[in-house]
Amino acid sequence: MEDNPLHPFELHDWIPIALGGLDISINKAVVFMWIAVSLAAVVMIMAGSSRKLVPGKLQNLAEIMVDFIRTMIMETMGKEGMRFFPFIGTLFVFILFCNLLGMIPGSYTVTSQIAVTAVFAFVVYGISLVVGFMLHGVKFLGVLIPPGTPGWLVPLMIPIEIMSQLARPISLAVRLFANMTAGHVLLGVLFGMAISGGLLIGWLPFVFTVGINVLEVGIAFIQAYIFTMLSCVYLGDAFHLHGHDDHAH
Amino acid sequence: MSSSQDPLYAGLGQAVRIATDLLAALIAGGGLGWVCDTYLFDSTPWGIIGGLVLGGVTGMRNAYRSVQRWTKT
Repeated sequence: MEDNPLHPFELHDWIPIALGGLDISINKAVVFMWIAVSLAAVVMIMAGSSRKLVPGKLQNLAEIMVDFIRTMIMETMGKEGMRFFPFIGTLFVFILFCNLLGMIPGSYTVTSQIAVTAVFAFVVYGISLVVGFMLHGVKFLGVLIPPGTPGWLVPLMIPIEIMSQLARPISLAVRLFANMTAGHVLLGVLFGMAISGGLLIGWLPFVFTVGINVLEVGIAFIQAYIFTMLSCVYLGDAFHLHGHDDHAH
Repeated sequence: MSSSQDPLYAGLGQAVRIATDLLAALIAGGGLGWVCDTYLFDSTPWGIIGGLVLGGVTGMRNAYRSVQRWTKT
């Protein structure tokens, strides 16, 4: 059992609950999601409660984060994208806290479950579809034909564009899940090597684990950033039909 | 990406993004082909073959487009 590097990702029901055939059992992932939510809420509420002109440490951190998200939205969606600020901000902070919480030994990385990341991705993509159809109506289907397509290519471009639309939520979900899982598997394998290698050679993989731990903290930030940045890009595409070349930089 | 963000992180983001975009388009294409095969038409195995080919084309085109967008900045 311990030989399997994917063993830490297995989930076992702690409190089995079945609600009308629906399995809503509480397991490690659920508990750690609660912990991430409450940690994020406590940190952000505490940071926002003082509102001093000269910010303290915590307020400074929160201000950097808010400013970062605001810049990201302004660059990808423009001014009208600011109405998505609460959603994008929540997404970023929650994913970041889940990723960072997973870096504590003995804890669980919620974002290493593809069910979790897939729900995030499909919610984002669903919102972008709803917004697109609400703003543009049937004309929103025009995203399936990129501007400047010659007429004879249209029958080929429509299936290709449908696939590239379908690929969006899949790539969002798979990217976050795969990055978090791969990093932790790598750490697990290296630690296993360090323990089984003994003192003579075991120090070598141990040095690697230290380096990769640092890298993983960076990846926790980068993945949270990429997920929310791409969510912004997709939502922005729903706003500006065919317009993404003018503003998406 | 803009100059206001760290170019290292922006570059890393782009690199990670393109790798998964290729894979995701392949999954989407193969999945669509499989659905066509199993549920819509009785066309095994041509749906999944065509789907994978189209998915590969889509992935490369998406990667090409995002690189194009990237060099413009």
